[in-house]
Amino acid sequence: MSDSAETIAARPSSTATRAGNGQFRRSLVGGPVTALPAVVIGLAILAFAPAYYTHLALAAFVNLIIVVGLQVFMGNSNIANLGHSAFVGIGAYGVAVLSTPLAMKKLSIPNAPFGLAFVELNPFIAAVLALLVVAVLAAISGKIISRLSGVAATIVSLALLIIVHSVFLNWTDLFKGNQAFFGIPKVINLPAMLVASVAVIVIARLFKDSRWGLQLRASAQSPQAAAAFGIDAKRLRLMAWVLSALICGLAGVLFAYFAGTISPKLFYFQQIFITLAMLILGGMATVTGAVTGVIVLSIGLEFIRSIESGVTIAGIQLPQLLGLSGVALGVVIVLCMAFRPGGISGRLELDEQLSRLFRRNVR
Amino acid sequence: MLSVEAVSKTFGGVQALRQASLSCATGEILGLIGPNGAGKSTLVNAISGVLRPDTGSVKLADRDLTGRGPEECARAGIARTFQNIRLFKELTVRQNVEVAHITCRDVRPDAADRIDIDRLLAHYELDVAADVPAGTLSYGSQRRLEIARALALGPSLLLLDEPAAGLNETESETLAEAIEAIRRDFGCAIIVIDHDLRFINRLCGRLCVMDQGKVIASGDTEEVWRDPRVIEVYVGQTS
Ligand SMILES: Nc1ncnc2c1ncn2[C@@H]1O[C@H](COP(=O)(O)OP(=O)(O)OP(=O)(O)O)[C@@H](O)[C@H]1O
Ligand SMILES: [Mg+2]
Repeated sequence: MSDSAETIAARPSSTATRAGNGQFRRSLVGGPVTALPAVVIGLAILAFAPAYYTHLALAAFVNLIIVVGLQVFMGNSNIANLGHSAFVGIGAYGVAVLSTPLAMKKLSIPNAPFGLAFVELNPFIAAVLALLVVAVLAAISGKIISRLSGVAATIVSLALLIIVHSVFLNWTDLFKGNQAFFGIPKVINLPAMLVASVAVIVIARLFKDSRWGLQLRASAQSPQAAAAFGIDAKRLRLMAWVLSALICGLAGVLFAYFAGTISPKLFYFQQIFITLAMLILGGMATVTGAVTGVIVLSIGLEFIRSIESGVTIAGIQLPQLLGLSGVALGVVIVLCMAFRPGGISGRLELDEQLSRLFRRNVR
Repeated sequence: MLSVEAVSKTFGGVQALRQASLSCATGEILGLIGPNGAGKSTLVNAISGVLRPDTGSVKLADRDLTGRGPEECARAGIARTFQNIRLFKELTVRQNVEVAHITCRDVRPDAADRIDIDRLLAHYELDVAADVPAGTLSYGSQRRLEIARALALGPSLLLLDEPAAGLNETESETLAEAIEAIRRDFGCAIIVIDHDLRFINRLCGRLCVMDQGKVIASGDTEEVWRDPRVIEVYVGQTS
């Protein structure tokens, strides 16, 4: 406590607002930097890779958007979410029901309620409406989840997943049950997916660095102290939950518009588990962690899958190792939890790591 | 400024507060002392909204805050530190202070304008560590950060729960000067809890002594120390 004290409170200044703007600008720059690795890989695939890889890239980008959405809630509130695929599914089925051509609907859902068998909306409008449904359902479920803490909230998120899944399965007039829903207009290509991914990453960064993100992270670390400093944690958790759901819903919309065919099992435990593994592996505290986890695990799993089906190395045919990818996924998560609970990328975003490295090298 | 009247609180059979009353004026440093378990922290919790009193009332500048939650008390201008440090450990030192300042900007923009985070950090010798996670600071720095964070709320009432605990003599000396400076510069009412009586005596013009949930004496520091009940509690404790 050095110099004489009249200095602390003396100078009237607008540092506060300036700092706020500076932060905004920093995360506007930080977002694209965070997205850079994904963009580079995406462009490389677009330019050089055979068609088979384009399809893998699609799955990877869908996962990327989901994992970034997951990070928005989990990373900032520190509450595990096991229900996000419900929103992915609602986004996908939303556009499927609203935008599939009438001729197709006559075959697939002729008895759809509310006259939906005779609705064929422009894909963009259908997407907006589907996301609106996601937002409403997220607001309702979020009201409950934001009141709970820790494990209780996680269990409610899981219940949400199970409810939504069984509605997809059993409301066959509207969703076709466990059969594939086909004929969705394929209006999205890989470049569009890439753009959407970058946009979502920037949004996640802006949220994390915003005052709400900061307050939410504070409340996750010490609920008592956060309350003592005027933070309304419930409201912030709700906010993050809805934003997270919208991003996941967008992933579903894009997936449906790319693949043209969807079915309920795509939006269930398999997806929950793999996206969760990606986020935890990469590090859920940062958006960079989300991106890192998706890249590492997508490449890793593809590699393992190629071994799984039996490869020939130097003329020797290795046996098929079915189930290897599942085992490997589990092992990766266990090892990661044991040795690096913060995930690969830890506490700092990519741009923050780079600027630190740069500063150190200058010195 | 602050007036607490006849506040009681029971925890499953343990009566932690019995009709405790106290008041603290703007620009005053009030010392709240008493043996372990006397109810000092509980009283501070009741004032800051962490606990809802069973009976009694808490008023800040004629605004009734009885039974209001901690968020509302913070917004009304009550800032506090915690006996067992509660920082936002994984946020940086600067972000810890920013969190408080955001709330201040919401409710008292003019006060917020007068607080310069860089200067505040520098003043509490936290500027070099501004970008490290708060949880990695040394104990003494964490205690200083608790105070800096509380000040960034631009409080009209500051509650310090054992700020000198674990500090050595020179450190608590500096801390006493810092608290004196806060009173001068921020012009807020300050309540300090501590077991270090030298620290308390040099800092506080007025004392409030608690024992077994009751306020047994309050008044000017020297007067309180002449009170036989206070002497009994303290002599009884040391012997
Ligand atoms: N949350 C709680 N639940 C149950 N009992 C409590 C709780 N908080 C405090 N008490 C009890 O209330 C009494 C007063 O505790 P308090 O922490 O207010 O004392 P204190 O004066 O701050 O003591 P110290 O100097 O040790 O900090 C003690 O008997 C304590 O055990
Ligand atoms: Mg105490």
